[in-house]
Amino acid sequence: MALALTVSNLKKSYGTLKAVDDVSFDVERGEVFALLGPNGAGKTTCIEVLEGFLHRDGGAVEVLGVDPGHRRDAHWLRTRIGVVLQELAVEPFFTVRQVLERNAGFYPHPRPVDEVIELVGLADKGGAKVKKLSGGQQRRLDIGLGIIGNPELLFLDEPTTGLDPAARRTTWELIRQLSSEGTTVLMSSHYMDEVEALSHRVAVLSRGQIAAMGPTPSLGGRDKGEATIRFAVPEGVHPGDLPITPSSVDGNAVEVRTPDEVTALHELTGWALERHVALAGLSVTRESLEDIYLALTRHDRDESDARSA
Amino acid sequence: MSSGTRQGAVATRGRGDLRLIAHQVKYEQLAFWLNRVGAVFTVGFSVVFLVMLGLSAGNQRVAILGGIRLVQFYVPGFCAYGVMAAGFTTLAITIVVRRETGLLKRLRLSPLPSWVLLVSIFISTSIIALVQVLLLLVIGRLGYHVSFPPSWAALFVAVIVGIVSFSAMGVAVSTLVPNQETAGPVTSIVFFVLLFLAGFWFPIAPGSGLAKFSNYLPVRHFILAMDASFRIPAGTGSLWAWHDLLVVALWGVGATLIALRRFSWSPRRA
Repeated sequence: MALALTVSNLKKSYGTLKAVDDVSFDVERGEVFALLGPNGAGKTTCIEVLEGFLHRDGGAVEVLGVDPGHRRDAHWLRTRIGVVLQELAVEPFFTVRQVLERNAGFYPHPRPVDEVIELVGLADKGGAKVKKLSGGQQRRLDIGLGIIGNPELLFLDEPTTGLDPAARRTTWELIRQLSSEGTTVLMSSHYMDEVEALSHRVAVLSRGQIAAMGPTPSLGGRDKGEATIRFAVPEGVHPGDLPITPSSVDGNAVEVRTPDEVTALHELTGWALERHVALAGLSVTRESLEDIYLALTRHDRDESDARSA
Repeated sequence: MSSGTRQGAVATRGRGDLRLIAHQVKYEQLAFWLNRVGAVFTVGFSVVFLVMLGLSAGNQRVAILGGIRLVQFYVPGFCAYGVMAAGFTTLAITIVVRRETGLLKRLRLSPLPSWVLLVSIFISTSIIALVQVLLLLVIGRLGYHVSFPPSWAALFVAVIVGIVSFSAMGVAVSTLVPNQETAGPVTSIVFFVLLFLAGFWFPIAPGSGLAKFSNYLPVRHFILAMDASFRIPAGTGSLWAWHDLLVVALWGVGATLIALRRFSWSPRRA
């Protein structure tokens, strides 16, 4: 499959701080690829090098077949990428339509303004002043500005930071729709649920390095490995009398970790039905993306805890 | 395929650039005039001053000024004020606000070439300054019989040198302002102090230390150059104040060097 971008051994420092330290990954055309990591992990620096906004210190980068650090190709590249920044960068005094028409004029083959207004769900707001829009509406206009040039590749830097839950959902829907139209998306986020909901593949960044990378559903082998069964021991039953061996017991709360949760559950529930006892709070979980993420980025937190202490 | 379209883009560049500049100037103008409070404050200030002056004492002829009317004496100064307000204060604040809200970064990442943006901003600033100068001349003429300048060319050259230089100073100052909250106060205070030192508000005793110091600053020289183009005071002297214009231009060059060194497309706050 064709690659939209490749990054090999990318390095970028600010003074003595290694913001991005030997990072390599690539993104296929049509893919939604997420950079996940805490603040300061190097996500934005990575994206800004790929956009051609920052110069790299080392490594090789290719975006849509050209080097974004190459001056001669920069203009060509900017007609083919779309960018949505962390900031809500929209002029307050323009109307929605004016902002989009202004930016459409920068591109050789822009999307029709009406189509974009419709797509980002602002059909009834075309004549509204930008400053009168809600935060979620401004963010959708911002994404509209990102796609007005009909980009092959869209950079989304923390697209829903600071939005309320409803606005996040509508922004997700918009990103899903763009992806289904074939737009390649490189996004960054520090929200696990967002990465899980939107991305095909994810790279977890920690202190400028990739701590883990893979398809989002199976990152860190979390689709395999042990499941955890939790329940409360029924009254009058000794934990030792249970049909499966608990891994830990805390009061009457029991945890059982097992690679084969189907068999374990079958034994447990069969036993409970026979004895007519309830299993309060019964649940089965696998390691979530959050567990993996927290384990992988532990160093960052230790450091920031030490700093704030 | 991609290299073919790239060559095509280069071939149509020349005409495309002009179209792009016109496009961007249109939206620069919209951005200025749609912000009604800002537009009225910028453009209206000098006009309101002129009218107030005319209503109070302006129509008296003043002996020490060679018997010309006070309003006539003040029109070039207000024209200078209008040019400086558009180039220095308004531009500096605009750039800081755009930089800190991410608008500059977003423009940098669009296919709009930086030089087209720069040229468009300069043209737009010039339009704002020229509108003020014309308003002052017309209101002065209709309301107070102020005569038009004897040479439009001399006025035009002075105005253009002023716009270029004070725009450069506006950009330079914008690089020294850390955030958008302080952009308005800082640039306004700097501007008003410069006006004070130039004797715009109160006359400064000739030969005093303050007057000598002011001689090294651009504002007094710009006002003198504008005065000269109206042949004020006393209807004598050359229309072309080359020495004064040179000082203003040198400040413009210095400011350009600072702006080139310090200009940033990214928000300052981190």
